[in-house]
Amino acid sequence: MMPPELTVLVLAALVQVVTFVAYAIPANIELGSGYTMSARDREPTRQMSDRTARLGRAMTNMFEGLILFGIAALVIHTTNQSTGYTTLLAWIFLAARIAYVPAYAYGLRPGRSIIWVIGFGVTVLMLIAALF
Amino acid sequence: MTETTILATYGLLVMLTILLQVLGGMQQLSLGYLISSRDETRTVSGMTARIERALANSITAMALFAPAVLILVILDRTSPATLLAAQVFLVGRIIYLPVYALGIPALRTLVWLVGFAATAMLYLLAL
Repeated sequence: MMPPELTVLVLAALVQVVTFVAYAIPANIELGSGYTMSARDREPTRQMSDRTARLGRAMTNMFEGLILFGIAALVIHTTNQSTGYTTLLAWIFLAARIAYVPAYAYGLRPGRSIIWVIGFGVTVLMLIAALF
Repeated sequence: MTETTILATYGLLVMLTILLQVLGGMQQLSLGYLISSRDETRTVSGMTARIERALANSITAMALFAPAVLILVILDRTSPATLLAAQVFLVGRIIYLPVYALGIPALRTLVWLVGFAATAMLYLLAL
C-alpha cells in the first residue's frame, strides 16, 4: 500500500490538474483559441470573465501550495517520520485545497482566505514535524 | 543537519516570505482587498513589491532544489559534498531575502548565483 502522505500528494497533484482544466476550458472559449495558441506576444483583445480569472489565480496559488506540501510529504516519507498526526495534517491539506477552488470561483469572502490559512497552517505543521 | 532537514528548513523560509508578503499586502492594499476575490488588479510597491519578486524567485529555486535533494536521498548518493552544497544553498537563500527586501543591488545577484550554482552542483552529484 502506498504511504498515506504520498497518496495525498498524488491526489493533490490531481486536484491541480483538475483546476488547470477548469481554468483552461473557459479561458480558451473566452479569449479564443487563436489567441491562446499564439505566442501571446500581445495582451489578448478579449477579456476573461471574473470567474475564469479567479480559477487562474486559484491555480497559480495551488502551485506554491503543492510544492511546499510536496516537500513536507516527501521529507516525512523518506525520513520515516510518518505518524497518525502527519497523516491527519496531510488529509486536512487535501480537503482545504479541494475546497479552495470553488471558494475562489464563487468569491467566498472571507471563506477563501480562511481555507487558504488552513492549508498554509497544516503545511507549516508538517514541515516542523519533519524537522523534529 | 542533513540534506532533508535543510530542504524542510528552506520550505519554512519560503513560508516566512509568504507571510511577509501578506503582511505588506495588508498594509498597502488593505485586508479587505486581500480576502476579496481580487477581480480588480491592484499592485504593491517598494519593499513589499521586492518581497513579492523575492518570493517568486524563491519558489522557482524551491522547485529546482527539492527534486535534487530528494533524488540524492532516494538514490542514497548523499555525501559530505552534497551536504555542503545544500548548506551553501540554504545560506545563500537566507541572505537573498533581506538583500532583496532592502533593494541592495549586485550582492543580490551574487547570492542568487550562489544558490543557483549549489543547486546545479547537487544535480551533477546525483548523476
